[in-house]
Amino acid sequence: MFNAEKFITETIADLKTKIHGKALIAFSGGVDSTVCAALVHRAIGKDLIAVHVDTGYMRKDESKFVVQIMKDMGLNTRFVDASEEYYQALADIEDPEKKRKIIGEKFIHIFERVAKEENITTLVQGTIAPDWIESGGALRDTIKSHHNVGGLPEKMHLTLVEPLRDLYKDEVRKVARTLNVPVAERQPFPGPGLAIRIIGAATKERAEIVREACDIVEREIEHAVEKNQMEMPWQYFAVLIPIKTVGVHGDKRAYGYTIAIRSVQSIDAMTAAYSDIPHDVLDRISTKITNTMGAKVNRIVYDVTNKPPGTVEWE
Amino acid sequence: MNIYVVDNGGQWTHREWRTLRDLEVGTKIVPNTTPFSELTKDGIDGLVLSGGAPRIGLDSPLGNCAEYFEKASFPILGICAGHQFMARFYGGEVKPSTIPEFGKIELTILKEDPLLAGVPKQSIVWESHNDEVTRLPTGFLHLAESETCKIQAMRHKEKPFYGLQFHPEVEHTQYGEHIFQNFIDICKKT
Repeated sequence: MFNAEKFITETIADLKTKIHGKALIAFSGGVDSTVCAALVHRAIGKDLIAVHVDTGYMRKDESKFVVQIMKDMGLNTRFVDASEEYYQALADIEDPEKKRKIIGEKFIHIFERVAKEENITTLVQGTIAPDWIESGGALRDTIKSHHNVGGLPEKMHLTLVEPLRDLYKDEVRKVARTLNVPVAERQPFPGPGLAIRIIGAATKERAEIVREACDIVEREIEHAVEKNQMEMPWQYFAVLIPIKTVGVHGDKRAYGYTIAIRSVQSIDAMTAAYSDIPHDVLDRISTKITNTMGAKVNRIVYDVTNKPPGTVEWE
Repeated sequence: MNIYVVDNGGQWTHREWRTLRDLEVGTKIVPNTTPFSELTKDGIDGLVLSGGAPRIGLDSPLGNCAEYFEKASFPILGICAGHQFMARFYGGEVKPSTIPEFGKIELTILKEDPLLAGVPKQSIVWESHNDEVTRLPTGFLHLAESETCKIQAMRHKEKPFYGLQFHPEVEHTQYGEHIFQNFIDICKKT
């Protein structure tokens, strides 16, 4: 079996020889980047600069929470609010691969800016096995370009260090528990964030809608898990489908978007089964979303696709 | 004990590596272009041929996999494209599936065999294929089927060569790790 303690000792020793001078880590606040930061921090201490970017596609209050974690971990912290820049770049982009590539490139440009100011040449990323597997290359087909692999620009001025490359999420969680990292049990959240939970153009208006819907799905499902109504899913969220359908709101015609509820069970994201959400939980989510969103959303659907044939995220 | 994974470009190649590593076997992912002489340099006890990129099982030579079948005396487990290529190499037939299978499928075991020992007659396996073996090569035994794909598992009558259309390496295949352990035991005994 995977031995977390051995992995930690070997990785820290390896990082000490690999990183010369200062390094920058792309810190999203998910399990992978947080574990990665904890490891590099143990190896090079204050020479590690952790950068968190608010892309505008983070979940509700997430960036605030992430910056707090970085501070609690004693990291040398930088925060960049790039949300307007991202909304502008993605305003009319519909193709999911294009979205991912633009987001990946933008990340690197922001990191390069910070790196230049700080005189840094090493970029640490929390890339894990499914990221590079699904990004394809050589013999392997590209399923989706993960922002930290397939989304990297061709020309890059930073040297990459990826200590978690051979690990899957369940193994990263084992390392997180051993290191006592605060986010060990957080559900996975993709680097491109809510931008790939909006089918079609990821406008600011749609980002606000899906952000609220994701928050409702998360809260209702966590509540149901607490009450033993269902098993804790691997990942659970909302997807905005930009198809408008007709509804009736208080004797008045409504014409709003569709929201899909997506929730799956998995241990490593390489295969996944859709979660069995009890009907009264679905019911609560549905009513809460439509009542909160008013005329913007008037239809809720439930995704019952496994991986394969689907993937966990819709894009 | 060394069992290597030959990479044919599958999404789950690394999962095969991980399952073997979890079962405490020495393992490494090697490109399918590795010559047999180099492959066996470290002394290997078995080989897993991974699945592959789309349609690779249908007509690709699959790197040097043919050489492995010609020269190996140790066990070989072909998965998905690896299984399809094994069938083609021994004179069987591979065609696009009438009903491609993705995700959850019920497997029915037709014939007892050490590779599937301890797996119930009916169990859940996960699939991901567009092509399949439509005619068993001569000299092979048909071990398992599903409703929509007849040749889900096969083995060579004399050599320890096995083919599986489904994916024992993924978490959602009920007895996947068990099948890998059976394969390791077969490698130990050969």
